[in-house]
Amino acid sequence: MKENDSFPLIMIHDVEYVYSNGTVALKKISLNINKGEFVAIMGQNGAGKTTLIRTINGLIRPTKGEIFLEGENIDSKTIATLSKKVGIIFQNPTHQLFSNTVEDEIKFSLKNLNLDREEIQIKVDKVLKEFNLEKYRKRSPLNLSGGESKKIAIASIICRDPEILIFDEPTLGQDAKEIRFFVKLIHNELKKGKTIIIVTHSIEFTIEHPPRTVLMSGGRIIADGPTKNILTNEFLVKNSSLIMPQVYQLRIELQKIGIDVPKEVVKEQEMINFLNNYLENKTTTLPEGRLKFL
Amino acid sequence: MLAITYTINTLLFQEIVPLMLILITLLPIILLGRLFKQWLKSIKGMFFLYIFIIVLNTLFITDRGLSFAIAMILRITIMISAFSLFFLTVDPNDLTLSLIAMRISYEYAFSFSLAFRFVPTIAIEAQNIMDAQQSRGYEMQKKGIINQIKNLFPLLVPLIISSIKRAFNVAEALESRGFGSKKERTFYFTIKYSTKDWIFTIYLILLSITLIFIKINFTSMPLWFKWSLPV
Repeated sequence: MKENDSFPLIMIHDVEYVYSNGTVALKKISLNINKGEFVAIMGQNGAGKTTLIRTINGLIRPTKGEIFLEGENIDSKTIATLSKKVGIIFQNPTHQLFSNTVEDEIKFSLKNLNLDREEIQIKVDKVLKEFNLEKYRKRSPLNLSGGESKKIAIASIICRDPEILIFDEPTLGQDAKEIRFFVKLIHNELKKGKTIIIVTHSIEFTIEHPPRTVLMSGGRIIADGPTKNILTNEFLVKNSSLIMPQVYQLRIELQKIGIDVPKEVVKEQEMINFLNNYLENKTTTLPEGRLKFL
Repeated sequence: MLAITYTINTLLFQEIVPLMLILITLLPIILLGRLFKQWLKSIKGMFFLYIFIIVLNTLFITDRGLSFAIAMILRITIMISAFSLFFLTVDPNDLTLSLIAMRISYEYAFSFSLAFRFVPTIAIEAQNIMDAQQSRGYEMQKKGIINQIKNLFPLLVPLIISSIKRAFNVAEALESRGFGSKKERTFYFTIKYSTKDWIFTIYLILLSITLIFIKINFTSMPLWFKWSLPV
């Protein structure tokens, strides 16, 4: 066993960040993330979520505090070195697309790894197939739809095989099919042992997928723990300018008409299962109006 | 007006002393605008250019190259200071209004001020693009001029494309809000030439007259005025 295995993969210790205009974006942030974890970072706009992820691959250096990757301080490491381990997929794909073809766009990321030509081609073919982008291989990435552009942006990071994948608002502007593809992709990467962090405002996505949530407000972490505990806490959720998850809201409404839904029911499928069970085993008839509601 | 007047005036001289005097006349205006810190920051940002000017001029101009380099640095400093003052103090909306007061059509005046309004937005976007590319292992510093030029593509192409896209979006947003539907339009705010403006205009005119006078009679000016370093 390597010595580094005893450390959390990402260790953020007392990090503070102050922008040049004096805005304090991060205040005494301490956070540990283990290898293979799937974590959501949530919070209102300006809470410091994006600033925090930028510190992890060295795009910005903390004003105070330290960040360790596999037990090593990243302070002296260049962004190029860190980007081999940490891949950030930013919100706006148009910020990174510039090549003539989709294939070249993916190649650009791999060329930065100094791989030989054959190896690059093998990796490009593999990732294009995985992302179902083969038909766009020779097309300009600049003329594709928002969803496809996002796929290219993700593919151009995943092909580099970083150990940690960080997504900034991955579901924003995506249709249901694209979100399904994204979920499948994340689970594939988790199976490969990758660590995934997503920054999102989508409470419905978070309640369904990442098991751990970190809630930020005003540059601080105000809660960190199992998603189902955090996102069903009205005080925390409302203080982060979020709306309670729909399944939670339905549970409250059902309670009002006398149907006790267990607290453990937080996901969509869990609610469907509960309701199916309830309707099958129900012995008493509900008043007509209420039955209509169900 | 200040920026243009100072720029023209600095172009009149190539000597250290008069340029230094022009710079000194700018300082009270900078202090009056409480912009000393920001001004110092923009001057600091030019440090590399200054070194470049000194090295090139001393190497290639054999007769008093250093003096000429210092004079050129002063000239650039004055121009940058004057334009910094303009950008740091003028609200884009006031700029539109002042252009309209100068009888420039609203469409052009608005486009002009919109261009200024988007400078910080583009700066933020450039930073985001740099971050996105660096996350893909892009290295900012590369050796060799050709490599450095090639290295600009991953930054410039997305920046230009997103700027063009934004321009189309802004145009559509403006048109959907009825921009340009009426030839004659009224303004919620109007600006007038105040006493302060008159004082300032007179100051600029007097300064320009004095400097032009000095330029014309430069040969009869005292020796200290033409002072330069022996190298």
